[in-house]
Amino acid sequence: MTPALQADRLGKRYSQAWALREATFEVPAGAVVGLVGPNGAGKSTLLQMTIGLLEPTEGRVAVFGATSRANRADTLGRVSYVAQDHPLYRDFSVGDMFRFGRHMNPRWDQALAQQRMKVLGIPLNRKIKRLSGGQQAQVALAMALAKRAPLLVLDEPVASLDPVARVEFMREVMAAVADTGLTVVIASHVVSELERICDHVIVLTEGRMQLAGQVDELVGCHWLLTGPRTGARAGFPGMVVHRADSDRHSTVLIRTHPGRPALPDWQTQPVGFEELVLAYLQRPAATTASDPDRAQRLPGSVTKAVSR
Amino acid sequence: MTWVTWRQHRGEALGGLALIGALALVLLWLSGPMRFAFSTDGLAGCVAASARGGGCLTRIQSFMSQFGFTFNQLLLTLILIPGLIGVIVGAPLLGREFEQGTWRMAWSQTVPRTRWLVTKLALVTGGLVVLGAAMTAVFTWYRSPMDQLTGHLTWAAFDFEGVVLTAYLLCAFAFAVLAGLLIRRSVSAMVAAFIPWLVIRGMVDFGLRPHFLRPLTSRLPRSASINFGPNMVPPMTGHLGDNVLGVTTTAVNQLVSYQPADWFWRLQFTEAGLYLVLTAAAIGTAVWLLHRRAA
Repeated sequence: MTPALQADRLGKRYSQAWALREATFEVPAGAVVGLVGPNGAGKSTLLQMTIGLLEPTEGRVAVFGATSRANRADTLGRVSYVAQDHPLYRDFSVGDMFRFGRHMNPRWDQALAQQRMKVLGIPLNRKIKRLSGGQQAQVALAMALAKRAPLLVLDEPVASLDPVARVEFMREVMAAVADTGLTVVIASHVVSELERICDHVIVLTEGRMQLAGQVDELVGCHWLLTGPRTGARAGFPGMVVHRADSDRHSTVLIRTHPGRPALPDWQTQPVGFEELVLAYLQRPAATTASDPDRAQRLPGSVTKAVSR
Repeated sequence: MTWVTWRQHRGEALGGLALIGALALVLLWLSGPMRFAFSTDGLAGCVAASARGGGCLTRIQSFMSQFGFTFNQLLLTLILIPGLIGVIVGAPLLGREFEQGTWRMAWSQTVPRTRWLVTKLALVTGGLVVLGAAMTAVFTWYRSPMDQLTGHLTWAAFDFEGVVLTAYLLCAFAFAVLAGLLIRRSVSAMVAAFIPWLVIRGMVDFGLRPHFLRPLTSRLPRSASINFGPNMVPPMTGHLGDNVLGVTTTAVNQLVSYQPADWFWRLQFTEAGLYLVLTAAAIGTAVWLLHRRAA
């Protein structure tokens, strides 16, 4: 089956600096993908290349098998995009925004957009600037859904919203996913937001991929070890992702095969999604890029999901 | 796209309409006394009777010094208007999309940004051409009594008539669109576009226009009095509407270099062409940059 999203050694350079390099991953249709990374990690760059706003410097990214090209109607029409801070024309009414959407998109679903506003109690004749931040986000989401594209990309959709609006926004996204079977990519630097909704995760730091894969699989092959402090680095069955030493104890996150590793002297615990992602976010990008024996240590099934 | 363009620029369209209305009212009010004087002094008949205009020199000169002066007082303001309209309409076209972040929304719709820009530019340019033509019509109507006496080659007339005014307007618009793309701020882009526009206007008016076409030379006896200027009627060449550029005195003659009255349209099209080349260059660069932008 064609993956909904497929990147192959994707990279983007702005004048001198690389914003993203060597991004390689696959996302199956129907997945809800969390794209996690600190600000400036390359999330927006990755998304903009996917949706056809930016052209890659190297590599390629494809949506349902078709390579994304910047500034082309076929690419643009395949993806719905809600940009960071959900920008809309402030002096347009909600109805004007929808009319804009209708003029700019051939498959526009006006009934769907209007129905959503009715359910949410947002009047069509209200000016955008008179709406709350949460309502503006809902209008932007309605526009993205009414575009009727099979991939929905949300860039930091809730970063600027209050907690109640965040929950409401995410609830609407998940309802839409349940209704339509959309594939969704949500970029965020707030890991806790993603835990409830994502079944796939991609972690980026400093323009490099740290982790990519299905959440359950990834959680299943990581273990948190606690034991007496030891200077030894080796001896763990798998790759050490993160290590924290206190005076007497060490806490080590390892990546290994599924199945609890048997280690005398160490307490072995499963790891939570948030802990797992945070551990990868803390890894300096340089170490991942030049970890010599990492490829050998990784279980084969996930090797391709991690940057070399 | 037509509706989108209209929705985003309708405020400017109404502003342009209001401006034309206000301009027409002011000039209508100012033209009353001038038209009255023109008919009561019988200047039209006087000019027709003696093609060289010599017969009623004093009356023509007093008319021009009175009413030409009114227009010249307004001139400094009026001369800026096409540039101001151009930058006010042009700078936000891309600048505001960047300022408010809406470019990410606008350019991620199915219509690609290049088509979005080209359509918007075409429609807004069309609107500006209509506005420029309307302003030209108002100015030409207002100046018509004076122009019967002095012709349209003095810059108080030339810059407001024919096709150049619309070309000035489009040129300022194009500069501002490009500046909006490069600077990403509407107000800074307005300033950044207006200054070069004004410099070019000055250079063309005072430096280039006399050289668009090689001026003709008329040979007058040394005894002829040397006086020329916009309101000198008739000019030294003796033919109404000629634009005297300069006088050189030789041992036996005075050589008067001048643009004859019937060069008006040739000069208009040459100058408008120059501005339209600049317009096309700026617009072309903007479209190319936006198309290529990180692509």
